[in-house]
Amino acid sequence: MNDDRRRALISQPQRRSLWILFLLLPAIVVMTLFVVWPLLSALRFAFYEFNGLSPSQFVGLENFRKVLFEEPFSDWTYNAFCHNVIVFFALMVFENGTAFLIAFALLKGLPGHRIHQVIIFLPVVLSSVIVGFLWKLFLHPMFGLVNGALALIDIQGPAWLGSESTALGSIIFANIWHWLGFPTLVLLAGMQRISAEVIEAARLDGAGDYVLLRRIIWPLIAPSVTIVCILTFIGSFNWFEIPYVMAGLTGSPGGSTDVLGLYFYRTAFGSVSSGIQDFGQGSALAVLMFLFVAGFSFVGLRFLRRREIQL
Amino acid sequence: MKNSSEWFKNGSIQALLVLNALIMLYPLVVMVLSSFKKNAEIFTAPFALPESFGFDNLQKVWDQTNFVRYMLNSLGVTAASIVLILVFGTMAAYAIARYEFRWSGAVLMFFISGMTIPLKLAIIPLFIQLDTLHLVDTYAGLVLVYVAMGLPSAVFIMTGFLRTLPRELEESARIDGANELLIMLKIMLPLARPAMVIVAIQNAVPIWNDFFFPLILITSDDLKTLPQGLTVFIGEFTTDWGVMFTGLTLAALPITLLYIVLSKQFIAGITQGAVK
Amino acid sequence: MSSVQVRNVSKNYAQTNVIKDVSVDIPDGEFVVLVGPSGCGKSTLLRMIAGLEDISAGQIAIGGNVINDVAPKSRDIAMVFQNYALYPHMTVRENMEFALQLKKVSKAEIDQKVIRAADILGLRELLSRYPRQLSGGQRQRVAMGRAIVRDPKVFLFDEPLSNLDAKLRVQMRAEIKALHQRLKTTTVYVTHDQVEAMTMADRIVVMRSGVVEQVGTPLELYDNPANRFVAQFIGSPAMNILEGEVVENAFRMPDGVRLPLPPAADIEDGRKLHYGIRPEHIALADRGVAGTVHLVEPTGSSTEVMVTVGVQQISVLAHERLPVRPGQHVHLSYDVSKVCLFDEREQRVRI
Ligand SMILES: Nc1ncnc2c1ncn2[C@@H]1O[C@H](COP(=O)(O)OP(=O)(O)O)[C@@H](O)[C@H]1O
Ligand SMILES: [Mg+2]
Repeated sequence: MNDDRRRALISQPQRRSLWILFLLLPAIVVMTLFVVWPLLSALRFAFYEFNGLSPSQFVGLENFRKVLFEEPFSDWTYNAFCHNVIVFFALMVFENGTAFLIAFALLKGLPGHRIHQVIIFLPVVLSSVIVGFLWKLFLHPMFGLVNGALALIDIQGPAWLGSESTALGSIIFANIWHWLGFPTLVLLAGMQRISAEVIEAARLDGAGDYVLLRRIIWPLIAPSVTIVCILTFIGSFNWFEIPYVMAGLTGSPGGSTDVLGLYFYRTAFGSVSSGIQDFGQGSALAVLMFLFVAGFSFVGLRFLRRREIQL
Repeated sequence: MKNSSEWFKNGSIQALLVLNALIMLYPLVVMVLSSFKKNAEIFTAPFALPESFGFDNLQKVWDQTNFVRYMLNSLGVTAASIVLILVFGTMAAYAIARYEFRWSGAVLMFFISGMTIPLKLAIIPLFIQLDTLHLVDTYAGLVLVYVAMGLPSAVFIMTGFLRTLPRELEESARIDGANELLIMLKIMLPLARPAMVIVAIQNAVPIWNDFFFPLILITSDDLKTLPQGLTVFIGEFTTDWGVMFTGLTLAALPITLLYIVLSKQFIAGITQGAVK
Repeated sequence: MSSVQVRNVSKNYAQTNVIKDVSVDIPDGEFVVLVGPSGCGKSTLLRMIAGLEDISAGQIAIGGNVINDVAPKSRDIAMVFQNYALYPHMTVRENMEFALQLKKVSKAEIDQKVIRAADILGLRELLSRYPRQLSGGQRQRVAMGRAIVRDPKVFLFDEPLSNLDAKLRVQMRAEIKALHQRLKTTTVYVTHDQVEAMTMADRIVVMRSGVVEQVGTPLELYDNPANRFVAQFIGSPAMNILEGEVVENAFRMPDGVRLPLPPAADIEDGRKLHYGIRPEHIALADRGVAGTVHLVEPTGSSTEVMVTVGVQQISVLAHERLPVRPGQHVHLSYDVSKVCLFDEREQRVRI
């Protein structure tokens, strides 16, 4: 009995520690191997010249210099970057703006608002590849649904994806169709969290729809707006799948739809047309993209959060 | 209360909503209808119902492509990833949430900071890492990447949920004679099922739909996942529109059906996943 | 053989000492209530008996065996928690079976024990329900059923009635008491409600700030409180305590009002005292201490009257309807032998 107890005393805390370790270990190992280590390496690799798959020589900031200041890479970088900026603002205005209005309309609880939520969210659960191909077919100049519809009212639609002036816009449109449900339902959830009493009080104070939206709802859904803005920003600068499917790896026509995601992929893994493949420059690009997105997200988050707190 | 201008306003709003619902839904309807059509029919009568609901296109997809293979691959990869995310994530979350130990705060921070990192940008070292482990062009490599990507939010959500379960339940079971493993499996985890459903959906949708990682990590046609296979498939049938629409419809079908059944959980899971 | 001995037990959380050298001896079959204000360490002590908290110092023995290092499941105890801790995903029957299954009791025996417990508590019809389908009182009963089926050496209850409404609480109080009389299992029952303690306990342990203030039967505590804290904690409304000093064999308050001291008391002048008299021992009379009625609270069966004497308030409880109104001048009379005196350290002055 006495002996028994002593053994129990010694082994109890150890057994507990082992049990906790056993619970934690698999997750920590996977994370370390496939997140922490690659991330640290990504930073390191940006300063190396590569020979195939292995870093061969430390070259300092050379990769960054090439990507940012050496022709033709710098041109490609800026071209792609500008497109990302356009995408971001277009999505902010058209996608999130529409989402905000639809969310407010759904908040009214008119008949069918529940089924509408289900419908508007359906494209969100589909793969970007499906959505991309679907719209690529619909936007086909000859046989596509869009130009077919325009032909009904005697309009000759353009080659949406084939001309430089409409290609990026068309892809952005497909993207909006794909993701619209997401900001809509996030904003709607934010609006639904406002207590009914507050809205009723505003109505009794004589607020119409516009005043209600502008003075009551908009400030009170600040947290949801923050989330939507930040995610739109991150999404815009990591944009890859839809342009890849709809415009190809080189951002055709003529680079008019090229974005950083495509450009990074081409640099890192090569493409049929460009052929060159450079992990060093690719890593430098990845680091730059990460710093840019993380930096601006951080600043934006602070700005948006302060807006939340002030209220 | 309701005067005529109020009626008019709500009426217009309702009309705009119906229009929006059409815009969201109609392309998918056309996709499904076109999958029953032949090229000529699609080109000449894009808006009409198909002349017949035959399965010619389906037959072609079945006979001439690897489509079923792709779908099974996607199913396998997604299922394996979700199982591992749930098992590993719940284990870690359980340790953090239910035991006091010195580093628990730090461990939770470790996982939470993982949520903010876009793993896509670390694809180069990830590729090299998997290459050294001989995991490029294997399911295992792809699954491990997905697990690593899904774990942080899984741990975060599960920890939050497990912490809300009352301590007395655990103590009661301990007095009843259950050991730690039994308490976890029989008492706590059955109660964590709602959180597990959220975690599963939140991860299953992006993994099922993912295109980027297979594009880089998988090269054998036999191992390709559905979105990736779809690009191959469409490349082969660029001129046969009916078959292309059939492919898209088939690819969209499984997740759409699941979504219709579980739309509430899907919406909650995906919007919450972002809000994390 | 299932007495419980708590010997010089202490409990520390990091720096704070929440149980300080507590000793309680509970003989086999006794119903002991631990009572004290919230945060005084009752639950902590109970949880140490259950094995859910480590014992920082001292020993706890059940049935004569020291169980400091014995796992909860091997202590042969059952505990009923304040929030019942019913397993939400198991039916009532499964909740009751769980512990027995883990003990590898045979199926037939489990069935028989569950049915017996269900009959005792009137749960027969509820066996296949889930906890969420039960009312608060039913859940409480299931929690007790889960304890009973195990036939433990000791029952531990941690404020089991505090989530019930007042009426149900009174009813369950009687049921638990009846159950104990039937099963005669040693029971340690924690509550912050002194009425519960008084009505249920064989013996009461009054605690404050981690220290045992007094142990005794309900009436012992009522009649002979060991200190000012116990005097005020036991009994409702609380005992009146007035502060002042002894002058010429009387008790004088700072405002000059004098009250009589018990005849046997022989206390030197100038000594500071606390003068305690229970509201129910005071009556309104034609003569005695003069005061003004401040507040009248009739409950129907009794009347509580607050009387201002000098600058202090004295509460009077009468089990009848008193025809008094606020502002009215009255006199208070009471049996001086019922007065309790406490010294400056608030300990009882024995007369
Ligand atoms: N885990 C803990 N860490 C630190 N202090 C605690 C802990 N648990 C309880 N305490 C403290 O111990 C004291 C006694 O708590 P408890 O036994 O729950 O009181 P009671 O049940 O009498 O209301 C309280 O002051 C409480 O704050
Ligand atoms: Mg307590």
